[in-house]
Amino acid sequence: MSEANVTAGFGITIKTRDGQSVAFACGPDERMLDAAGRQDLYPPAQCGQGSCGACLAYVETGEVEREPCSPSALPETERDKGGILLCRCRPLSDVDLRVPYDAASIRFEPEPERTAVIESIETLSPPMRRLVLRLGPGADGGAGVDFEPGQFLELTVPGTGLMRAYSIASTPNWDGRVELLIRLQPGGRFSEWLANTAAPGMELIARGPQGGFMLHDRGLDPRWFVAGGSGLAPVLSMLRRMAEWGDPQPARLFYGTWQREEQVCDAELTELQSQMPALEITRTVAGVDPTWTGAAGSVVDTLAGSLQTLRRHGDPLPDIYVCGSPGMVEAVRAAATAAGLPEDRVFHEQCGAASP
Amino acid sequence: MFCYQCEQTQHIDALAGCHSQKGTCGKDSVTSDLQDILIHAVKGLAQVSHRARALGVTDAAVDDFIHYALFTTLTNVNFNPVRIEQLVRQAVTLRDALAGKAAAGAPLATPPGPASYQPPATQALMLAEAAGFGVRAGMETVGEDVIGLRVLVLYGMKGVAAYYHHATVLGFRHPDIDAEIARILSDLAGDPTDIPGLLALALDAGTLNLKVMELLDAANTGTYGTPEPTVVRMTPRAGKAILVSGHDLGDLARILDLTAGAGILVYTHGELLPANAYPALKAHPHLAGNFGSAWQDQHADFAAFPGPVVLTSNCLIEPQRSYKGRIFTAGPVGWPGVRHIENGDFSPVVQAAQALPGFTQDAPEKTTTIGFARDSVMGVAGAVIDAVKSGAIRRFFLIGGCDGAAPGRNYYTEVAEAAPADTVMLTLGCGKFRINGTDHGDIGGIPRLLDLGQCNDAYSAIKIASALADAFQCGVNDLPLSMMVSWFEQKATAVLLSLLALGIKGIHLGPTLPAFLTPTLLAVLQEKFDLRANGDAAADVARALGQAA
Repeated sequence: MSEANVTAGFGITIKTRDGQSVAFACGPDERMLDAAGRQDLYPPAQCGQGSCGACLAYVETGEVEREPCSPSALPETERDKGGILLCRCRPLSDVDLRVPYDAASIRFEPEPERTAVIESIETLSPPMRRLVLRLGPGADGGAGVDFEPGQFLELTVPGTGLMRAYSIASTPNWDGRVELLIRLQPGGRFSEWLANTAAPGMELIARGPQGGFMLHDRGLDPRWFVAGGSGLAPVLSMLRRMAEWGDPQPARLFYGTWQREEQVCDAELTELQSQMPALEITRTVAGVDPTWTGAAGSVVDTLAGSLQTLRRHGDPLPDIYVCGSPGMVEAVRAAATAAGLPEDRVFHEQCGAASP
Repeated sequence: MFCYQCEQTQHIDALAGCHSQKGTCGKDSVTSDLQDILIHAVKGLAQVSHRARALGVTDAAVDDFIHYALFTTLTNVNFNPVRIEQLVRQAVTLRDALAGKAAAGAPLATPPGPASYQPPATQALMLAEAAGFGVRAGMETVGEDVIGLRVLVLYGMKGVAAYYHHATVLGFRHPDIDAEIARILSDLAGDPTDIPGLLALALDAGTLNLKVMELLDAANTGTYGTPEPTVVRMTPRAGKAILVSGHDLGDLARILDLTAGAGILVYTHGELLPANAYPALKAHPHLAGNFGSAWQDQHADFAAFPGPVVLTSNCLIEPQRSYKGRIFTAGPVGWPGVRHIENGDFSPVVQAAQALPGFTQDAPEKTTTIGFARDSVMGVAGAVIDAVKSGAIRRFFLIGGCDGAAPGRNYYTEVAEAAPADTVMLTLGCGKFRINGTDHGDIGGIPRLLDLGQCNDAYSAIKIASALADAFQCGVNDLPLSMMVSWFEQKATAVLLSLLALGIKGIHLGPTLPAFLTPTLLAVLQEKFDLRANGDAAADVARALGQAA
């Protein structure tokens, strides 16, 4: 990848996980994410307001000024490692950054937008909806929808200029169908619209796909997936891709919710097991429920126990893909570290309550 | 990682070769190290296969695996560490099964070296051992000349494997070839140090490659007919479209069959351009011609193509995001995150073609003429011989081999420009794209530019040269023929070894010489075969014409 011309301000260099680098200029009063976009360079990002953590980067050299952001988006542990959010950070000098994704995740043009017509809305549990969209033709005129399983789309909140991000649960296809699992947030603008107004045939604008959460074809080591609540969506997409392509890695899913009624997608998980006979699924419910026959307690505790069992037996440790609340993601990373798994083998995406 | 098997290997410090986190081709260090381990495991499989064969025990699945696995390690073929790790483990499973099968008849002593390799349980542990299996392992003990010769043999065998794979997928194979592949790899597994012996082994690989290329020629022509001079459209027509790149005629034929009557036009790309000259392929009315140029232009070609792209063999380079979702790999090819067609069922490609927009209008027509394989050329042998005898044709320039991005490859364009009007140029391989955009005219009705086909069709060139030598009652080295070989990857190494095995001298090899040829080895090749490095194109042409020293 060639380096962009640094024409004014401080020089910011991003070094990607695959060893490539891109550079852009950033004025002293400019946020790095804004400066990058001004120069047609779009690293993975989402909320743009320090809430989601999608634009996490690490300062290797140089001085920066961090603006306040959500502790869940930039936990203290990450900050201690030099972590910043590009959307909430200004340079005080030339800065070298390291990012946890490959160069291919950086776009050099704005995220594409497409029309999206609602095909169906299904209530999966009191707070969970399955929203199925049919995207209109892409920029190339084609009908297909192309993304990496694990990525998300931003959808407009009709009647406003707001957009909300939701992970895709389906797989790339050639007919433009997109399936999303959406947890309704009390007071959330998109949630309110989806619960009260949305109906099949209505049209939205979809922007994306975006995000650096995706499968990594590293080798034959196992892949373990950890999903909390609506974090099942990107994990479902990843597992469906593995089934479609016949990926050889042994796979295991840990799926946890607070309540039994929040456990969704029974049919989809059963179908996945029929396609991937070796897929092991462990479902946990944290709340006390005498009618629940599955594992009880924290999904992270269940994961940690399984990792320690592997370690005791000297079995290969897995790559871990986790999507859930910021706290859950942190806990999974801690459990992985305790089991001796290198940090770069835990791939994560945070989900949970967005801004209203 | 350390890799110096291709022409574009890095020369950025004292150690020529790619030895950072990523090679020039885009292969990362994990995949590169796993490929080193795979080569080690395949050598071990060959050791057992060679010994089992002596006991009368053979296994076609083992033979197929050996050439398939070697093919995945060619430059620009398979970048997927998952697939390479699978192949390592599969090699060991096949090896142990074959050893057991052979031992049932008579005791099979486990040979030392790679045949005893056992891969650890995890990839991390495998990679921790990788340095011991790299091509430079033992350098401090045996020296760079021995290492250089070993890799010359190994890389030549990779080329042999690729050509043989293309033949076997069309149902053409020969037990002598299977046996010789196992024998040479088994010899390599013994880490030979005798330089004359290694030189002989390299020429054995070249001789073997001649047999393989002959078989591949029989496979291609026996299956799809003899290529015939054909005018090929080089610009697209309106309609849904599929682009097929690589070398595999069988995959192209399957795609053509699958799309018959479906309203989808199929285009060739790069080294598949010569497919348009095969009667059984060009009989399909929806084989619409060729789109794009040589492999190194694929970023632009694939991005501009409004339909799916299928990579049937090398050369694949890192897919760009703009088209990654609509490319497919087949056979030995692979890239992480790119859909692979394993079983020859290209229906997902057809589905993609129907969903993607295709070309909305016809582009202005441009054409090129191809299909001058040996039968076409020898069909006019009388006229050619007369033209040579009369002086109308002063010399032939065989401009053969690979194209690439390096500026030094302009040499071949300059050779074509410097070649006077009384010379004929024979092209094969994707290097032709540097030349075939120009009308070079004809000599008494004989086109001055005769394209012989893919690099896989080097056999045609050898047969033509041999036939001309017979006609003139001289040796090939006495013909008015200059060979300007443009190498890039390991099939070109195999072809070079074949030419040397035939005793052909005075070959120009470029644009740069292989990094693994040490000064000592180069001196040997220059002394024995008058191997020449590229100089100034005009001067080299003048020298060939006898106008300058």
